[in-house]
Amino acid sequence: MTMATQRSTAGQVERYTGGGPSGLAEVVELILDKGLVIDVFVRVSLVGIEILTIDARIVVASVDTFLRFAEATNRLDLYAHGGKDLGDLAESVTRGGAKGKTSGALEGAVEKVGEVFTKGRRRDDGDEEDDDDDEPAPRRRARPRARERR
Amino acid sequence: MTATYVYGLVRAEAKLPSGLDGLGPSGRVGTIAHQQVAAIVSDVPTDRPLGTRDDLLAHERVLDAVAERTAVLPMRFPAVVEEDGVVSELLAPHQNRFMEALARLDGLVQFNVKGRFEREPVLREIAQADDRIIALRDQVSGQPEDATYYDRIRLGELVVTAMQQRRDEVGRRVLERLQPCAEDISPRRLVEPDEVVNAAFLVGRDRIKKFDDALDGVARELAGRVRFRLVGPLAPYDFVPED
Repeated sequence: MTMATQRSTAGQVERYTGGGPSGLAEVVELILDKGLVIDVFVRVSLVGIEILTIDARIVVASVDTFLRFAEATNRLDLYAHGGKDLGDLAESVTRGGAKGKTSGALEGAVEKVGEVFTKGRRRDDGDEEDDDDDEPAPRRRARPRARERR
Repeated sequence: MTATYVYGLVRAEAKLPSGLDGLGPSGRVGTIAHQQVAAIVSDVPTDRPLGTRDDLLAHERVLDAVAERTAVLPMRFPAVVEEDGVVSELLAPHQNRFMEALARLDGLVQFNVKGRFEREPVLREIAQADDRIIALRDQVSGQPEDATYYDRIRLGELVVTAMQQRRDEVGRRVLERLQPCAEDISPRRLVEPDEVVNAAFLVGRDRIKKFDDALDGVARELAGRVRFRLVGPLAPYDFVPED
């Protein structure tokens, strides 16, 4: 079984073979959420899995989603044409500026998986979703005050 | 009591690929057969709880490797049975059901397709199509976050709604293009507004190329707006019988 990642050369499709190279996100979605369940299985003690599958199903509050997309829209340069930094900017805004709980529910859960499972491990297997743990804490903290004032 | 880890089920005559690496202390993967059906098994770590990253990866790795050559019913992680119970509790009582499911999955593998909007060009497209978005944007720009909280929510709501309309349209188009190449489709819930498609496809081994080409085709048409991610071939996790 190859663990190698295959990337396509044409079009917009990233291709990954099965067996894990696609990252922990996919694995978690597949084998914790899907697959056959038979009542004869005994309960075994697990490492944080149960919490994690619940987290993965939580939908991010829509207000947070709105604020995140508003921010991305604000940073958009509507008059530029294919400037190289725009994508990066939007990405860093959404990942850095509105990080933490406003990140996608699944991504959030995956980061958690990352924390649980990669403690003391090397992070060299190309998981793209859980490589950004070093982001600064969310900046946006003004909301409660704003609410009180109104 | 000794426990046995069960990855999934195959027909008793199926040949497993060699060199499978399991999650137990021995690393060995074997089968326990009962009449027509067999369980793919290994030993279970006894000195620690299951569920490490390596355990998860091993479970999937074994199943995907088996799925590449033969029909397999994948279990949900983790599946542990008392060793004595593999035949008497798992295989014997459910044999008919397992065999039916294996027959249905014969020659088929799973592919997962995810499509996501390229955020920046699609946001620009949305903003330029709606004057209200431009106006709100101008209104909040340069203002303190506290002062513009509700305007920013309104702005985000307009953007997200427009994005969801677009993704419904584009997502449908993608599914229509892939459907003829698949035996079955299992859509998954979209979480983020910029997710266009997230679905598992059951594809015949002899039609993998066709499926792949269809995805490439629609990806080319949507180049610059949607980027896709294809994972497979996988064991048919999304297509096992419901309990």
